[in-house]
Amino acid sequence: MSAIVGVGAYAPRFRISAEAFEEAWGRFDAAGVNGKAVPAADEDPLTMGYEAATRALEAAGVEGVDWLAFASTTPPMAEEDLTARLGAMLDLPEDVGRHVLTGSTRAGTRGIVAAADALAGGASRALVVVADAPRGEPDGEIDHAAGAGAAAFVLEADGPARIVDVAEHASPYPGSRFRGTGEATTDGLGVTRYDRRAFRETVGAAVDGLSVDPDAVAIQAPNGKLPYRAAGDLGVDAETIASVATVHELGDLGAASVPVTLARALADGHGSILAVAYGSGAGADALVVEADGPVSTALALDGDDPLGYAEYLRQRGVVTAGPPSGGGAYVSVPTWQRSIPQRYRLEAGRCPDCGALAFPPEGACPACGSREPFGAATLTGEGTIEAVTTISQGGAPPEFADLQSRAGDYAAAIVSLEGEDGGAVSAPAMGTDAEADAFAVGDRVEATIRRIYTQEGVTRYGFKIRPAE
Amino acid sequence: MRDAYLIGAGQSDYGAFPAESYRSLFSTAFDAAVGSVPKGLEPGAIDEAFVGTLGVGGRQLGLPGPAVTEHVGLDGVPCTRVENACAASGYAVRQAVAAVRSGMADVVLAGGFEVMSDTSSDATKYWLGVSGETEWERLSGTTFSGVYAQMASAHMDRYGTTREQLSHVAVKNHANGAKNPHAQLGFECSLEDAMAAPVVADPLNLYHCCPTSDGAACTIVASEDVVDAYTDEPIRIAGVGAGSDRVGLFQREEYTTVPASERAGESAYEEAGVGPDGLDFAEVHDCFAIAELLAYEDLGFCDRGEAGEFVASGATRPDGQLPVNTSGGLKSKGHPIGATGAGQIVEAYKQLTGDAGERQLSDPRRGLTHNVGGSGGAAVVHVFERQPIEEVAR
Repeated sequence: MSAIVGVGAYAPRFRISAEAFEEAWGRFDAAGVNGKAVPAADEDPLTMGYEAATRALEAAGVEGVDWLAFASTTPPMAEEDLTARLGAMLDLPEDVGRHVLTGSTRAGTRGIVAAADALAGGASRALVVVADAPRGEPDGEIDHAAGAGAAAFVLEADGPARIVDVAEHASPYPGSRFRGTGEATTDGLGVTRYDRRAFRETVGAAVDGLSVDPDAVAIQAPNGKLPYRAAGDLGVDAETIASVATVHELGDLGAASVPVTLARALADGHGSILAVAYGSGAGADALVVEADGPVSTALALDGDDPLGYAEYLRQRGVVTAGPPSGGGAYVSVPTWQRSIPQRYRLEAGRCPDCGALAFPPEGACPACGSREPFGAATLTGEGTIEAVTTISQGGAPPEFADLQSRAGDYAAAIVSLEGEDGGAVSAPAMGTDAEADAFAVGDRVEATIRRIYTQEGVTRYGFKIRPAE
Repeated sequence: MRDAYLIGAGQSDYGAFPAESYRSLFSTAFDAAVGSVPKGLEPGAIDEAFVGTLGVGGRQLGLPGPAVTEHVGLDGVPCTRVENACAASGYAVRQAVAAVRSGMADVVLAGGFEVMSDTSSDATKYWLGVSGETEWERLSGTTFSGVYAQMASAHMDRYGTTREQLSHVAVKNHANGAKNPHAQLGFECSLEDAMAAPVVADPLNLYHCCPTSDGAACTIVASEDVVDAYTDEPIRIAGVGAGSDRVGLFQREEYTTVPASERAGESAYEEAGVGPDGLDFAEVHDCFAIAELLAYEDLGFCDRGEAGEFVASGATRPDGQLPVNTSGGLKSKGHPIGATGAGQIVEAYKQLTGDAGERQLSDPRRGLTHNVGGSGGAAVVHVFERQPIEEVAR
């Protein structure tokens, strides 16, 4: 037996409307999608997953887990164990079991099922992080529908929202949605009746063996219409789907489609939830979640920063040139790696002689010059801006030229970050999650993790600051 | 300890010179410096050389010193490359003074060069940021314009300094540079122009930022034992001061002072036995408009927080109480990184020898030069005195 004890969800702040697509293309191919979430240029499924995971852990009121899964059809690296980075960002123990699930839009529910199996097998607490940001060719249905979002679930053997039944079905339907090895965009042949049959057959068969009368259905939503076509196959009415649907305002969330919708259903207090995910190829997962009490949730799915279509292409890097060639200053990956405790978790140092904080914790004490090794100290992630500038076009270091051409002007600040045990220490940080002019001297800010830059094919992640909530 | 004297100084034009090499620019500056020695100098008399350069573009990162001294025929002379970012050749001159004072050398060449115009704008940016704190400061998205803009934001927040006051620095320095035949941007600008320029890093706009430049500058320093052979009106290097600091701005106690400048100024004043009141002019490091204002305060030209009003009052114009950057400064004259510190001393030499042309101040006796590396990770200050020095009531 397993149960969900904490839920987090996240969607980027940017939104683009169906009308903006219609203006650009003369049409909009994603039926039933009114608008969708768009990741900022410094976001990807790993950072979105971090956003959801921190919220889930906080909602559950726990820090450690002993089992971790990360699921996405669009992981920022096709090959690399991203749970190593994610675990370090979340400060999880280094010996937790780790799993990366990808390759299908049911990777997210696969993660939840795998967590349930792990708990049955003796794991004590699992964290499932699902994040996705699908991409297609700009003139096709998949890209028009493609949104962005993340959900994370903390699971234990028992709790308020029990996973009471699980079923699965697969039968071969190649070609309905696929991405060749090494390709950046997802494609489909667009054989409408064939695609629809694959969806309805597998989804229906997976649910067939379950005994459930749900008051909410979280179902895979590649667009805003297909879920309702399967209502009959599931034996539910459209309202049961519509009441918790996320596709209409967030778009197609890929592997995160069902998890984010499930998160919303739990947040809305539904007692009996049927979660049905579909992965082309084709297979389906069905989970029955019975909540006999409120589940602790922390959802950040609202966003109200509208993008025009040209800005959308810029933020996604479709029409920008990429990083420039250069020379000069260079931070090697091994050098960067040594600073990960600071980049991800703001690990500072405290001088044993004078008690001052140091960040990064290396070299002589900034206050008294002592060479004694620093004691451990953590920063809260909250602080106050001491100095700030807006870096205009052309003013960025070359490492950030691509980010700037995608995201525009940004704030670069020096922020006084507070220590958990008192004191404060200054650090430089880039602004994110708000326009550059939203940062001024004296403003309160909080840290989060974003993409910093990519060099030699390796993306470096680290903390940035945003206006305090 | 023997006294050191400045017996010659000269520079190339500053600007963008596709037809010149770093060696030919250095050669021009060297010839100008040698040619400026009142009683003449045989290059063979030079027995030591210090050459400042950052190495922008990577054209000769190793042994750039000998690469230029060999080009001017100084084969075999001990030659050291000095690197302290934008303060490279200010420190080269300090090394020359040290060599003379110690007795190791009698006539020392100290100069610098940089070529910044022959790389793409992308590649130039890679080089401009190399003297910031690389791992943290740079990777928060800043180059120097950003770091100085942060200092400006703190100064504005703390003291109420305004964008208009920053723009007064540009107006003054362009007015001066328009009279300097070596200046890269030798044109005047109005306050309106200087206010309306495109923003580079808020609150700094284009007129609050110096250009990138090609150029070279050389000085010649001689000991008291030999100075009479070269001039009858010696210019004594009366005070030398230097200081360093944490490379990253965020690592400093506060952002509205440059402690390395303060330290350098205090030492130089103490050695020279004068304070800011004893100066007739100064060349300060105005890579950004806020840097000139900070220099006023760090060097004691005005009280803390009052630099904005000080510049706006006209006090640092050529007809003011303390003319600053009569050369046009980095803003108008240009900023070929490795040449800049020596280039400031070229202006001091010209003013003190009455050779400053249209910019000539009326009989100046004592001047100061102030050269900063990075955002204040290194600074060096020199005080020069025309001999015999007479205190003139100011």
